[in-house]
Amino acid sequence: MATIESIQKAYMDFVLTEGAQPKSVYVFAKKNKMPEEEFYRYFGSFDAIEQSVWTDLANKTILEIKTQEVWGQYSSREKALSFFYSFFELLKGHRSFAVYSLKKQPKGMSTPRVMEGLKDAFENFSQEILNDGIESTELTDRKFFSKRYKDALWIQFGFVLNFWINDISAGFERTDEAIEKGVNVTFDLFQRSPIDNLFEYGKFLVKNGGMKERMGL
Amino acid sequence: MSDNTSKEQNSIPTTKVERSAKFVKTGFKIGGNYIKHYSKKLFNPDMDKSELNEDNAADIYQSLSELKGSALKVAQMLSMDKNLLPQAYVDKFTQSQYNAPPLSGPLIVQTFKKYFGKNPDQIYDKFNIRSTNAASIGQVHRAELNGKKLAVKIQYPGVGDSISSDLKLIKPFAFRMLGMSEKELDVYMREVEERLLEETDYELEVRRSIEFSEACANLDNIVFPKYYPELSSKRIITMGWLEGMHLKEFLATNPSQELRNTIGQALWDFYNFQQHEMRAVHADPHPGNFMITPDGKLGAIDFGCIKVMPDDFYYPFFSLTSTNLFDSKEDTIKAFRKLEMILPNDTPAQVDFYYTTFKQMISLFAKPYITDHFDFSETAFFEDLFSFGEKVAKMPEFKQARGVKHFIYVNRTNFGLYNILHELKANVKTDTYKPHVEAVL
Repeated sequence: MATIESIQKAYMDFVLTEGAQPKSVYVFAKKNKMPEEEFYRYFGSFDAIEQSVWTDLANKTILEIKTQEVWGQYSSREKALSFFYSFFELLKGHRSFAVYSLKKQPKGMSTPRVMEGLKDAFENFSQEILNDGIESTELTDRKFFSKRYKDALWIQFGFVLNFWINDISAGFERTDEAIEKGVNVTFDLFQRSPIDNLFEYGKFLVKNGGMKERMGL
Repeated sequence: MSDNTSKEQNSIPTTKVERSAKFVKTGFKIGGNYIKHYSKKLFNPDMDKSELNEDNAADIYQSLSELKGSALKVAQMLSMDKNLLPQAYVDKFTQSQYNAPPLSGPLIVQTFKKYFGKNPDQIYDKFNIRSTNAASIGQVHRAELNGKKLAVKIQYPGVGDSISSDLKLIKPFAFRMLGMSEKELDVYMREVEERLLEETDYELEVRRSIEFSEACANLDNIVFPKYYPELSSKRIITMGWLEGMHLKEFLATNPSQELRNTIGQALWDFYNFQQHEMRAVHADPHPGNFMITPDGKLGAIDFGCIKVMPDDFYYPFFSLTSTNLFDSKEDTIKAFRKLEMILPNDTPAQVDFYYTTFKQMISLFAKPYITDHFDFSETAFFEDLFSFGEKVAKMPEFKQARGVKHFIYVNRTNFGLYNILHELKANVKTDTYKPHVEAVL
C-alpha cells in the first residue's frame, strides 16, 4: 500500500539517480509496483510531489521551532531568524533534491510552481509573527506598507535560498551569515526608523507651511 | 613632570580613538561600495566583482596611508616602519570584527545544534541567550553546569573565510603603495594570515589554553580559568567564569602602589616565563585579555594568538638585548645579518648606518632588562621610544622592509606588555625569568 511519504521517497530517489523525471506516471507506478490510479489518489502530477516535499519541509520547520523552549521569549525578529536557520538546517538533509528541483525552474521573478505550497505556509507563518510584532509595537504599523512586510520576507527567503544553492563554504557558514545580516536588515526596515520621522516632518511642512506656494510652484 | 605624565597618558588612547574612527569611516565606505555593486548588478546581472574590489581596496588603501603617519607610532619603531603595515591590517580586521553586532539568539541555537546536535539548554543547566561581553571574533555568554559558573565563547560565522579573502584583496594595493616587491611583502602577510587563521580555530585555542595554563600554574599571583574541551568545538569554547575587573575598571578604583606592583610583576613574569622557558608566547597583550580578580591576582583569559619563537630568531635577538654582544661590532653585525636587519647586498656605508641605528633602537628597547628593577611609570622612557620611532619613520633608509617576519608578533607582544605596565605604573623586578642566551655566542 503506497503512502504520501513512500511516493515522495520513491520519486526523490528516482530523479536523483536518473537526473530527470520519470517518462510517465505509468512507468513510475509500474516500477514501484502500484496501480497508476493509486498514484493519482495522492498526487495529480510529478510536480505536485515536488511541491509537497517543499511544503512539508516548511511545515515541519514551523512545528519544530514552535516547540522549542525559548520560542516564547523570542521577538518577531528572532522568530523569523529561527525559521530561517532551522529551515536551512533541515534542507541540508535534502540538498541534492533541492538543487535538482530549483535548477530546472525557469529563471524569472515569479514564484516557481513547486514552491507555491511552501509560499502559502511561509506567508501564513510570517503574517502571524508580524502581527505579533505589530501588536507588541516591536514593528511599526504603517498604512499600506505593513501589509507588504510579508512580501519583503518572502523576497528575503528567495534570496537566501539562492544563496544557499550556490554556497560552497564548509557547513554553509556563509548562508548563516546571509541569514543573520539579511533578516536583520529586513526587520530594521519594519521598525520605526528615521524615514518615518522624515515622512512625518514632510507631512507637517506640507500641511502648515504652504510650501508649494512659497517655493513658487 | 606632572604635565608630561598626563600628556603621555592621553596620547595612547587618543590615537586609539582616532584609529577606530578612521576604520569606522572606511567601513561605511565599503558598505556603500557593496550597495552600489548590488544595485548595479540588479540591472546588469553579468557585472563581475572587479569594480567592487577596486572600490574597496582603494578605500582601504586610502585609510591605511592616512594611518601610516598618525597612528601606531610607538610600535612602528621596532617594527621598522614597513613591517608594521600588516599590523595595520590586523588592527583593521580585529576592529571590524569587534564592531560586529551581537549574534541573534536563533543563530546561537543554530551554532550549538550544528556542533553538538543539541540546544544550549540541553547542554548546560542554565544558559543566558543574551551575550555579556564581546570577544575579538566572537561573543561571550554566561552559563551554569553542576553549580559551576561558566563563560561560553561563540565565534561569529565566516570569520576565517573573510580574513583570507580580505588579505588577498588588499595585497596588490599594498605592493603599489609600499613600492615593495610582492615577495618581500608576502613573507609578512603570510605571517599575519597564519596567526589570524589560528585565532579562528577554537579547538586549537582550547588545547593551547590548557597547555599554557598548566605550564604557568606555578607562577605567583596569576590565575587561569578551567577549560572544558568536551564542551568546546571549532566555534565554541566553554571555560570557567573568572570573576574580576578589567584593567580600566581596576585603575579607576585607585589601587595601592603595592597592588599595582604585584599585578605588574605577575604580568612581567607571565610574559618572560613564556618567552624564555616556553619559547612561545601569548602574543596578544591587549588589556581586554586580562582581569584583576577580587583577591588581587591577575587572570589571563585568551590564548587565541600564540607566537612560537624558533631558535634562529630567539638566540640572535635575545643575545642582542641580554648579553654584552654590543661590545663587539663584528658580532653585533653578525646577529643583525641573521635577523635580516642587515641584508647581504648592503653597501659598507649602509651596513654602518643600520648598525648604528638598530643598535640604538635595541639598546633603548632593552632598557628594562639592563637593571634588576624597572619603573614603568617613568614617562621619559616612553617618550624616548616615541620620538625615536618618529625619527625612524621619517628616514628614507627605512622605506624598505627589514627584519625577519618573527619581529611582527614579538614586537607587538613586548610593546603591548610595556604599554600595560605603563598604564599600571608598576615598578617591576625585571631579572626574573631571564633569557637563556649565554651558551650560544
